[in-house]
Amino acid sequence: MMELRKTVAGRIALTAVATVILLFLALPIVVILVTSFSSNAFSAFPPEVWTLNWYKALFADGSKWPAALSLSALIAALSTVFSLIIAVTAATALTRSELPLRSAVYALVLGPLLIPQIVTALGLFLLFEPAAMLGSPLAIALGHTVLASPIAVLILIATLRGIDERLEDAAASMGAGRMTIARRITFPLAAPGMIAAAVFSFITSFDEFYISQFLSSVGTITLPVQVYNSLTFDIDPSVTAVSAILIAFAVLALALVALVRWLGSGRQNSLLSVENTAGIANPAEETV
Amino acid sequence: MAALTATARPRKLLASRRTRVGILYALPVVVYLLVLFVYPIFGTLFLSLKNADGSLTLHWYVDALTGVNLSVLITTLRISAETALLSLVFGFVLANAISRLKPLWAGLAMLVVVVPHFISALVRTYGWIILLGDKGLVNETLAGLSVPGTPYRLLYNELGVVIGTTSMMLPYTVLLLYGVMRGVDRRLLAAAASMGAGRVTIFRRVYLPLVAPGLASAGLLSFILSLGYYITPALMGGPNQTMIATLINQQVTKENQWNGAAAQGVILLLLTLAGLLLVKLVSSLGASRKKRSAS
Amino acid sequence: MAEFDVVTPSVKVADGTLPTATGKALSVVALRKTYGDVVAVDEASMEIAAGEFVTFLGASGSGKTTTLMMIAGFCEPDSGTITVGGRDMTRLAPQKRGLGFVFQQYLLFPHMTVSENVAFPLTLRGVPKDEIRRRVGETLEIAGLSGFGGRKPRELSGGQQQRVALCRALVYRPPVILMDEPLGALDKKLRDQLQVEIKAIQQELGLTVIYVTHDQEEALVLSDRIAVMRNGLIEQFDTPRELFERPRTPFVADFLGAANFLSGHVEKHTDEHTLVRLDETGGLLKARRHELATGTQIKAAVQPGRLRAGAPGDGFCTGTVETATYVGTLVRAGVRVGSGDVLLRLEVPAGRGPVAGERVGVTADPEDVNLFADERER
Repeated sequence: MMELRKTVAGRIALTAVATVILLFLALPIVVILVTSFSSNAFSAFPPEVWTLNWYKALFADGSKWPAALSLSALIAALSTVFSLIIAVTAATALTRSELPLRSAVYALVLGPLLIPQIVTALGLFLLFEPAAMLGSPLAIALGHTVLASPIAVLILIATLRGIDERLEDAAASMGAGRMTIARRITFPLAAPGMIAAAVFSFITSFDEFYISQFLSSVGTITLPVQVYNSLTFDIDPSVTAVSAILIAFAVLALALVALVRWLGSGRQNSLLSVENTAGIANPAEETV
Repeated sequence: MAALTATARPRKLLASRRTRVGILYALPVVVYLLVLFVYPIFGTLFLSLKNADGSLTLHWYVDALTGVNLSVLITTLRISAETALLSLVFGFVLANAISRLKPLWAGLAMLVVVVPHFISALVRTYGWIILLGDKGLVNETLAGLSVPGTPYRLLYNELGVVIGTTSMMLPYTVLLLYGVMRGVDRRLLAAAASMGAGRVTIFRRVYLPLVAPGLASAGLLSFILSLGYYITPALMGGPNQTMIATLINQQVTKENQWNGAAAQGVILLLLTLAGLLLVKLVSSLGASRKKRSAS
Repeated sequence: MAEFDVVTPSVKVADGTLPTATGKALSVVALRKTYGDVVAVDEASMEIAAGEFVTFLGASGSGKTTTLMMIAGFCEPDSGTITVGGRDMTRLAPQKRGLGFVFQQYLLFPHMTVSENVAFPLTLRGVPKDEIRRRVGETLEIAGLSGFGGRKPRELSGGQQQRVALCRALVYRPPVILMDEPLGALDKKLRDQLQVEIKAIQQELGLTVIYVTHDQEEALVLSDRIAVMRNGLIEQFDTPRELFERPRTPFVADFLGAANFLSGHVEKHTDEHTLVRLDETGGLLKARRHELATGTQIKAAVQPGRLRAGAPGDGFCTGTVETATYVGTLVRAGVRVGSGDVLLRLEVPAGRGPVAGERVGVTADPEDVNLFADERER
């Protein structure tokens, strides 16, 4: 309430409560990062002895982690490619053409984001099981694309809406053909959005658990499923190090998106402004 | 007249070219989601209605809504409601605080909200398990402060589950409510103050009604999202905190009880759709109210 | 700027890039466009000569922008034809027309520098690199933008951005450059300055320009000819002087000159004059000869600047000066005449100006009186 004067007591109370809630959000993450360097990988905080043992153990002989990591990376890469193909075409259709049943298509795109993931996963299981495709990395990637492509579509819709369509008219008036306009005008301007869409598709697939679990077999266990199994069945202390790596990976990906957004916006807001940080979380804010 | 029909044609052709391009480009996403999203859901629906011999039946639903399964459903609704309520309250306080902070601090605070949002729920749940254990940071701190009764049992019960799911839902509610609060015209509050309204009155009579539709949608959304949650309840709860998604998972991966799982999936889907309908209702209510106040 | 060659675009634009020998750059025949029941442009026809600066002038909704968009190819006419350099372009896509377009919102490509923006149309036409550099440099120099080539559009002011847009539209020497209210987003002072610059460049390079604006003054400053448009119709297409002195419709008289209107009927004709009996004052107004039947109900239009104040009893009516406002070189006077219903507006040179309360006779040169048969309400 900007225009109302603030009382000192009110301000202190608000700051205190806000800090506690922020701690509530941050602590589970901080504790993993710290514990991953602790000699006791499960509790005892702060660590008494610092060590890199859990990270070394990840790559020890007989470790399941490298296989899970590369499988997840492969699947995430595949679904990123699928999602981008789907998203570029879909966003073009939804922003740059006259599409009959536009709102129906839009609702279909939003569907996977709103329906419980377990239901989507169950459906995919029932689809792929009779096709004997359980355990196929391709099946898992196709499944992940169901969740990742809508996010990519929303990001690219927002991106294309943000590009003045008349810039394309201007290029046409100078003699540029459809392909030239796409290559020299639209694509360079949409690049930050494309990068964001790719990063979010990748993260979505990389972190996805439900579909991976339903479609996995003994031979194809993705990283999140391996983490889950480690937490429920065979307690493997390296899981802390894996979690820390996943955190670092997510932070790096977000930093990349934030940077690209910031550069793409012509550095209007400061890199750490609320507009920028909240914008990362909701890259499709104009459409949702 | 002849000239008119002759000239109307090229225009129609042009319009249909834009339409053709639209259909062509919309095709991949539509086909993909129809095959890998809509069709499987209908497959689930059929399976939930099918007997072993292929005849139609409702007995999977009867199963899903009686005995242990019913109590799981009730637990799911209860935990989701608790989560929605808590994440709404915390989210409201935090969003409100962020909207009043200086830009730099607000940006940093938003970062703390946004970053966890993109970190795997599995990892964050694991963080909570480390934190809330008998020898975890929370209990150690409490013991260090000589709080009587430590260690508290914070894991493998409903408290643990609700702590976990609330922290998963909180980023959603903060982001949603922050957007709602930014949409409130602050001058209205100043106007109310100029008429002599006190702080509490302004909050209750002006601010709250303005953000109420946003609050309702945020609460409903986190309720819906909690309904299908599985990882956190499974890892942080005990046997009494089994939620419907856990049950579906068990029936598929352990018991090969697909029809039952399908019926429960459909129930979960229907609950979600009902919730989404409510969200839509609330937001159109809010929109019409805004329109009325604007005119 | 004789070094400028005609570019043969790689995209297929006919060799008609230069105006044909007849000097006809563009012709529009019976162009019509409707949106549902609304007729946006109704049977617009005109011919524009090479090197001519033509303005479409009208209020919003008059059809001026729609006509321009149809010439550019961004909007397809229901019927009619558009010919540029003898080539029918009515159904051609915009990129195949080879015209230039300057938009109100500049629409510079934000990811390209100023030089890259201006070079863009040349690269499309496969012009060699050295040639591109030379011509971009020359064009930027004409617009006074030398030294700005390396900047991004967002680092420029609005006026500078519009100069770049202008450069980008003329660097490839299109046969016709279309401008859609290019100065509409700028403030008055900058607008005046850029009008002068645009006119100078147009004359220096001999460009054919079609310009859209709603600003009469801008149209008068820039144009060789102006098409005054209303409700999708071209009311009159003429030189500024003709429009001002010989308006063909009451609308044009009002729109360009803010004319005084007096109603009356034709009493008789002499060899050179038509005499009109005015309804309100009963006075006799002498106009130059109009071909109107005796007894025809008419509206007479006279521009405020063409009325003079004389002694009471002079001219076609006598009235009382109600207001006299000094506005620099002029005095604007309001003279109440007749039974008090009619207020004539006069603009007379300051110094000899009337004062409020004075009784004056109002006179007009018959040459400055335009008569319109009063068919409808006006």
